[in-house]
Amino acid sequence: MQHAHGAIPILLLAGLLLAGGLAADSVTGQTQKFPALAPLPPVPVPRDNPMSEAKVELGKMLFFDPRLSGDASTSCASCHKPETGWGDGGDVSRGYPGTQHWRNSQTVLNAAYYAKLFWAGEVTSLESQADAAASGNVAGNGDGMMMEERLRQVPDYVRRFKAVFGTERPLIRDAWMAIAAFERTLVSKPENVPFDRFMKGDAKALTEEAKRGLGLFLGKAGCVQCHSGPLLSDESYHNLGVPKNPVFEEDPLRQITLRYQHVIRGVPEKVYRSADRDLGLYYTTKQEQDKGKFRTPSLRELTYTAPYMHNGVFFTLEEVIEFYDKAGGDEPNKSPLLKPLKLTAEEKKDLLAFLLSLSSDKPLIVPQPALPDYAVLK
Amino acid sequence: MNRFFRLGGSLAAIALALTPCIAAGEPLAPLPALEPPKREQVELGRLLFFDPRLSGDAAISCATCHDPKKGWGDGKALSTGYPGSEYFRNSQTILNAAYYKRNYWDGRMDGRDLPTLVRDHLTEAHFMQVDGRLFAERLRQVPEYEELFRKAGGEPSFGRTLTAVAAFVRTITSRNAPLDRHLKGESGALSASAQEGMRLFQGKAGCIQCHDGALLSDQKFHALGVPDNPKVFEDPLRHITFRRFMKTLGVPNYDNYRQDPGLYGVTKEKGDWGKFRTPSLREVSLTAPYMHNGVFATIEDVVEFYNRGGGAHPGKSPLLRPLGLTDGEKRALVDFLKSLSGDPVVVEPPPLPEYKLRALGKN
Repeated sequence: MQHAHGAIPILLLAGLLLAGGLAADSVTGQTQKFPALAPLPPVPVPRDNPMSEAKVELGKMLFFDPRLSGDASTSCASCHKPETGWGDGGDVSRGYPGTQHWRNSQTVLNAAYYAKLFWAGEVTSLESQADAAASGNVAGNGDGMMMEERLRQVPDYVRRFKAVFGTERPLIRDAWMAIAAFERTLVSKPENVPFDRFMKGDAKALTEEAKRGLGLFLGKAGCVQCHSGPLLSDESYHNLGVPKNPVFEEDPLRQITLRYQHVIRGVPEKVYRSADRDLGLYYTTKQEQDKGKFRTPSLRELTYTAPYMHNGVFFTLEEVIEFYDKAGGDEPNKSPLLKPLKLTAEEKKDLLAFLLSLSSDKPLIVPQPALPDYAVLK
Repeated sequence: MNRFFRLGGSLAAIALALTPCIAAGEPLAPLPALEPPKREQVELGRLLFFDPRLSGDAAISCATCHDPKKGWGDGKALSTGYPGSEYFRNSQTILNAAYYKRNYWDGRMDGRDLPTLVRDHLTEAHFMQVDGRLFAERLRQVPEYEELFRKAGGEPSFGRTLTAVAAFVRTITSRNAPLDRHLKGESGALSASAQEGMRLFQGKAGCIQCHDGALLSDQKFHALGVPDNPKVFEDPLRHITFRRFMKTLGVPNYDNYRQDPGLYGVTKEKGDWGKFRTPSLREVSLTAPYMHNGVFATIEDVVEFYNRGGGAHPGKSPLLRPLGLTDGEKRALVDFLKSLSGDPVVVEPPPLPEYKLRALGKN
């Protein structure tokens, strides 16, 4: 089923490009083995949370509102800042006050396209992701009922929630709906992305370097094995042997959060006692072979989303390319897809040029909206 | 309850109605000694009591709202609560808290289980909003705590933390108040004025109807018609906390409340609206402001309130009626109330041991 789905866009793409007088294979060199790279389709919208301008506007305000956290200090934007690619710019994310997080803060850009969210795919929608992040004890530490009552103390929010959701008083679940709707607007527009323009027929949209890089991506470097389809992610889980980030040996707060994670995810006592790193997909499945597996992230917009990997251990794309060139790290569970690539210096530059062509020409910035105040309720 | 006892009770009630000199309730007495908690538990609990790492954002400790220097309360009319919020009731002293049968102003907790009372403070969103699994890992990051916990029974854990803090709280009790020395026969322990106040307390002023026994509390619930503290609903942050708390209790229509329902919030019985548990009067000179909403700043204000027969409340206790105290009698009563403070319970905030790095994978 998965393969059949992948094949259709490739055929369509070939048809489109042929109509424009180009042969698909000669342009991209794509085979039908992996879902085709392509511009992103229109953003998927769940049937129970239709988009509207008013909802998006409300969601934007809530995204920036620190009252959606325990001590009213931390908004979504605290770890997903527009000016740092909608991540937090650090290797491992900051956490709720009094804590430090244990994973890299992923970009919100194009998150709307993932079937599962978080580095190990813990949740299945933007709506549930927003709730989990605002409530999680090392992220927002918010109490749902408290946050809901805060919203009800803000007359402007009461009016907006009523207009959007038809409720007399704001419900916290609708706050997550609105935030998700806002996030569905934070997507790469094909006309802004060199690679997408190229795919739509503008042969000059990619430099010669980037075109060679595309060839490597699809071929010798083997990136497309996991970074495929319009999102450039197979949305599957792989262990790459990413090196440990030394902050976990240097910062007591990170050590606390790492152990706390083992505890709250319910790993067996024996595993807790000896765990020395993020166990990734294992937290969900408790299957030995899933230790250290993380969900392939999209490569779109990565110009703006450094540092890279689940623990932010690489600060530049050059480091990432070097890592893959050496066949990744060394872990017993490492994916067999990783092999030494033997890329030349020139080839690495070409690959980098292609990767950079996956980002919008300019970063997508949304100015922080004015937030409405609490009022005395008569 | 046998028949004879019931008959005795009614006779007593009749006697009470007939005589202007009230002598109901348990006699005043020194507090009985509590079974001492284990020394290792107390030692550990003392540190934990002052440690802000037991709150969600590591900003506040038990001592933030129960400050030894402020009579083990916070000195405010209405307490602060968790950062980002404000609370809607007065922070009660923890002096002698171990003697109550019910805890909190609305009596929602069973006083015989102090560890659970500590748990409620730590994990509830309006107090310290922390996940017990998180602070257990925080404590495991502090070698001194690992050692103290080991002496107290094992590794740092949620449950052991509650036990230790509760053990410490059990040691915060008053001893040797002038009243106690007077009751033991020490002449001169109470001034003449305080002795006059004591007579009024047990007689004309009727205080002992509710403030009786060693704790000077009947541990029951009464509506006094205490004036509302307007700040609860005029301060958006307090109103938010109030609503969220009422929702957790499961009361209906809490959005529309503009008054603290007290015991009603717990029982949902109409007759309990506005009732609060009688607090002890021990250490009262240290624990201003007074009442569940801190609406009275001084003991004198409280005496005036009772002298007027309390406030206006449809379910007000029939025990309250105008007292007709003279100025001299009021002064004597205040002097007696001030004689209820014992030897100061001084605990200096201890230096707190810091986080240290651990070897990864040796958890």
